[in-house]
Amino acid sequence: MSLKSERRGIHVDQSDLLCKKGCGYYGNPAWQGFCSKCWREEYHKARQKQIQEDWELAERLQREEEEAFASSQSSQGAQSLTFSKFEEKKTNEKTRKVTTVKKFFSASSRVGSKKAEIQEAKAPSPSINRQTSIETDRVSKEFIEFLKTFHKTGQEIYKQTKLFLEGMHYKRDLSIEEQSECAQDFYHNVAERMQTRGKVPPERVEKIMDQIEKYIMTRLYKYVFCPETTDDEKKDLAIQKRIRALRWVTPQMLCVPVNEDIPEVSDMVVKAITDIIEMDSKRVPRDKLACITKCSKHIFNAIKITKNEPASADDFLPTLIYIVLKGNPPRLQSNIQYITRFCNPSRLMTGEDGYYFTNLCCAVAFIEKLDAQSLNLSQEDFDRYMSGQTSPRKQEAESWSPDACLGVKQMYKNLDLLSQLNERQERIMNEAKKLEKDLIDWTDGIAREVQDIVEKYPLEIKPPNQPLAAIDSENIENDKLPPPLQPQVYAG
Amino acid sequence: MAQAHRTPQPRTAPSQPRVFKLVLLGSGSVGKSSLALRYVKNDFKSILPTVGCAFFTKVVDVGAASLKLEIWDTAGQEKYHSICHLYFRGANAALLVYDITRKDSFLKAQQWLKDLEEELHPGEVLVMLVGNKTDLSQEREVTFQEGKEFADSQKLLFMETSAKLNHQVSEVFNTMAQELLQRDDREGQAPRGDAAVALNEGPARQAKCCAH
Repeated sequence: MSLKSERRGIHVDQSDLLCKKGCGYYGNPAWQGFCSKCWREEYHKARQKQIQEDWELAERLQREEEEAFASSQSSQGAQSLTFSKFEEKKTNEKTRKVTTVKKFFSASSRVGSKKAEIQEAKAPSPSINRQTSIETDRVSKEFIEFLKTFHKTGQEIYKQTKLFLEGMHYKRDLSIEEQSECAQDFYHNVAERMQTRGKVPPERVEKIMDQIEKYIMTRLYKYVFCPETTDDEKKDLAIQKRIRALRWVTPQMLCVPVNEDIPEVSDMVVKAITDIIEMDSKRVPRDKLACITKCSKHIFNAIKITKNEPASADDFLPTLIYIVLKGNPPRLQSNIQYITRFCNPSRLMTGEDGYYFTNLCCAVAFIEKLDAQSLNLSQEDFDRYMSGQTSPRKQEAESWSPDACLGVKQMYKNLDLLSQLNERQERIMNEAKKLEKDLIDWTDGIAREVQDIVEKYPLEIKPPNQPLAAIDSENIENDKLPPPLQPQVYAG
Repeated sequence: MAQAHRTPQPRTAPSQPRVFKLVLLGSGSVGKSSLALRYVKNDFKSILPTVGCAFFTKVVDVGAASLKLEIWDTAGQEKYHSICHLYFRGANAALLVYDITRKDSFLKAQQWLKDLEEELHPGEVLVMLVGNKTDLSQEREVTFQEGKEFADSQKLLFMETSAKLNHQVSEVFNTMAQELLQRDDREGQAPRGDAAVALNEGPARQAKCCAH
């Protein structure tokens, strides 16, 4: 069909994504290119063999340990009665453990006395004991307290959990995918057993599963989070670098419907960023998921305040991408991988947490693939921004500070003001100089004009020609005047 | 929305309604979110839900049985198309939504179908084609016949709706719910053909049971 070719244009790497076995499903790099089904099949046999070997190793080690104890006992010679009793109990515990290991796999439900279980909890086996820290201690205590409310089922669960942890201890050399498989199988088996044998109602199974996950993952975290055997760390650094290179991306480019000028909204954005960063500090996959969910809720609120209507997925995903770009959460890929590998799988495929986690995966995938087109930029602009030659900040007054904190924003504003001031001052100086020049010119001009006038009309001060008495001396009209009156003498 | 956290995985439990994941697919602004919002809250932008409308759960009663629909909204913009296959994992059903006033959105829905089929086993996921915005029929670009013919050729369910006028909205989801339950009950049979049969029965009759 014509659509086919169109589609191909979008998914160039489609064939690379498919399962290596060619079953038609998508593969996953975390499963070495297989799809989940093929991966399971592929590793089922290998795992069975490994498990068999593990138990053999475990039994051998325990035998050796017992022998060591026995020899130390004999070398001590006269031991106190209590110590030998302790030893006896310890050996008993060990042998019982071995039997329960087998029972775990033969799926029988042996129930020990509750008291013994709790005691066992207080004296965990040395292999687990080595990795205890304050937090793991606290979590174990909580776990035991929690299980106490379930009586027999609780004891059974505790036993299975402990056996699983012991088993995992010997599997540390296995690849992380195999360890993940073990954990997933464990979740599955425990949940199924609780339902079919323990007749535990589903909502309680959920609760118990959460506690089990918390307990085992707190203990395993150190060994299975970002393990050296994988390239998780490399991927972490790659995405971190990528996000840093994309620091110039503005909300406008991503069409993020969030207006950070509204104080409430920027507050939500900050909270969302805090949450997504906090994810790294959690040990339990479910706690990490909770951080993502919290972050998402803040994003929804931010959008709701800005748009004044509830956010849809069309709004949410871009905003989440923006938050991830802004926050650059530490060890992002490791966290995603860890959650994928060790979270109860039902949490990831369904449920609200699963939805937000899927969105985060989408956001990361988008950031990895992001190109000029997805930001509505020309390729030249995109390349220039990526190389750091220019930044798109000049276009808009507010657009240059998307990734800055409040202080830096203020600084930018102040710098801007200063440069404006500078400009104005220069203008004033220029004007002043011009004015000065004008003034000088004007004075000069006036002086010149005056000079001109002075030259043109030189001032001649003539001395007075005649004295005042002679004022009429030259009067021509004198002639026309009647002769002056002559005095007449009257003789009379 | 609070109970969304506790979605039980086991499908075997009889006391708990079974959970089905339904993915909403379609181009941007064809009304995916509005459809879901209308259905879940029975509301069209009058009362705002507490959080965003991208993830919903709703318990649906179909006769004596009930099931829980988990509705996943997806970002429809073209640029997110290539990453959206991540949403498909574990999906039981998909609504392919298009806007009857936009031909391109109809073509896009066909593309989504291809993506779905590449990611999931044929028959693994129940698909319904939904033409939205019948309230704007004077601007219609995709005729009912066109939609119906395509749906028939691909053995999809088909309906036209208006999220704005609340026309046929709950019918869409209830038909899906009913079909999902039926499929689930006779697992192992070829569910594809049956989906097409259900189409002919007409969905309107099944809608009454859980309009509220």
